[in-house]
Amino acid sequence: MEYVNPEGIREDGRRPLEMRHLHAEIGTVARADGSAVFEMGNTKVIAAVYGPREVQNRSQQLNDQALVRCEYSMPNFSTGDRMRKPKGDRRSTEISLVIRQTMEACILTHLMPRSQIDIFVQVLSADGGTRSACINAATLALADAGIPMRDLVTSCSAGYLNSTPLLDLSYFEDSAGGPDVTVGILPKLDKVTLLQMDARLPIDIFENVVQLATEGCKAVANYIHEVLLENTKQLEYRRGL
Amino acid sequence: MEAKPLDSPTSFVNQLVVPGDVVLDLSTMANQTIKLGGGLRQDCDSITVLKAGKLRFAKPNKYWVESSQKRYVPCVGDTVLGIVVDTRADNFLVDIKGPALAFLPVLSFEGGTRRNIPKFEVGTLLYVRLVKANTAINPELSCTDASGKAAEFGLLKDGYMFESSTGLSRMLLSSPACPVLEALGKKLSFETAVGLNGRVWVNAASPSTIVLVSNAIMNSESLSAVQQKIMVDRLLQRVQ
Repeated sequence: MEYVNPEGIREDGRRPLEMRHLHAEIGTVARADGSAVFEMGNTKVIAAVYGPREVQNRSQQLNDQALVRCEYSMPNFSTGDRMRKPKGDRRSTEISLVIRQTMEACILTHLMPRSQIDIFVQVLSADGGTRSACINAATLALADAGIPMRDLVTSCSAGYLNSTPLLDLSYFEDSAGGPDVTVGILPKLDKVTLLQMDARLPIDIFENVVQLATEGCKAVANYIHEVLLENTKQLEYRRGL
Repeated sequence: MEAKPLDSPTSFVNQLVVPGDVVLDLSTMANQTIKLGGGLRQDCDSITVLKAGKLRFAKPNKYWVESSQKRYVPCVGDTVLGIVVDTRADNFLVDIKGPALAFLPVLSFEGGTRRNIPKFEVGTLLYVRLVKANTAINPELSCTDASGKAAEFGLLKDGYMFESSTGLSRMLLSSPACPVLEALGKKLSFETAVGLNGRVWVNAASPSTIVLVSNAIMNSESLSAVQQKIMVDRLLQRVQ
């Protein structure tokens, strides 16, 4: 199968090192304390944050830090095949855990002991890279909710097909079975908070691919930064300052 | 992402900042004491931002990030609107939109003794003052001012309460009086209580006035001062 044609163009018309179009909106769920929609090409994810609020289940309460919970779900209409999936399947439990751990790394949980922060992420349309899109959406939603954070976490994936490193895999490329590396970074602190890979890669190529994904993360960070500044500016304007 | 040059410590003041931004470098500011407010954190020699908002500076040395959010972070001395959630033997449990429920001791009313404990049902709206705010314990409220007088604190009867953002509350409480309330106050008579936690209570003689005032306040969040006046004028014309 040819994923990159001889002219160096991918199946959806991108170059190997090109990202899909990014789009983000803040404050999309009126009821939530913070919310955001994040799009990477055809992948569209909505995130809502509630909290910090009183812990619902007393036995889970932590006395030195906030409890962060995350729920990831992927409705049937988000993918091409409309198979009915059970709610707590392995994939969504795993992604919930990944998102929770990544967000916990950047939230200053010790500032809000004995409280709970809920993050709900839902995939509205899936076209590869849902994991990264979910993390990006969750970051924006947390920032919107005003939850203290070390830095904005951003995430991006990269793969290796036809002996070419590819940035931001689509569903078609993702299902090729090649390696898929998802990286999450704290851009200002320049630290990695998430690194996942399916399949295997030689170590020298792996370094290249991770480097590429990190560059992607930084591009996402730039965009998120802009969106957040724009949103804050509007809030300022709204208050007539 | 390239770091912005930190040539002068004031270069970020009144600028919009996002989490992770390094706004001050302590190593270049020897022999200076600074005070950090909400939304900032010291990380070794650098001061980093925790929340998206505008960096503010007050002379001589106070820095904080001003932002608008739907949740409230308890702070001593703030006046807030709380809703009674539960009644215990010596405390009322009050929801103030914070990370934890707040305690309102049953004796913290003017002339409060064991004999005359007020009876509040679940869902009662109270105008209260925060006396203790610490992450280690639940916030504590009081229905008296610092000298033990009832002042205006206590039960809010009738009227209508709606929730907005903390930014709107601060705008309504700012001095000189915010344009919406000023314009409305010239034509209508109404009572209002604004809590710093983003809750606003409005009461008036007729329900139509309550509806008008609360709609005007809710709309004003996305408007500038001039727009607010125009909006209020238009609303008042429709009524009269």
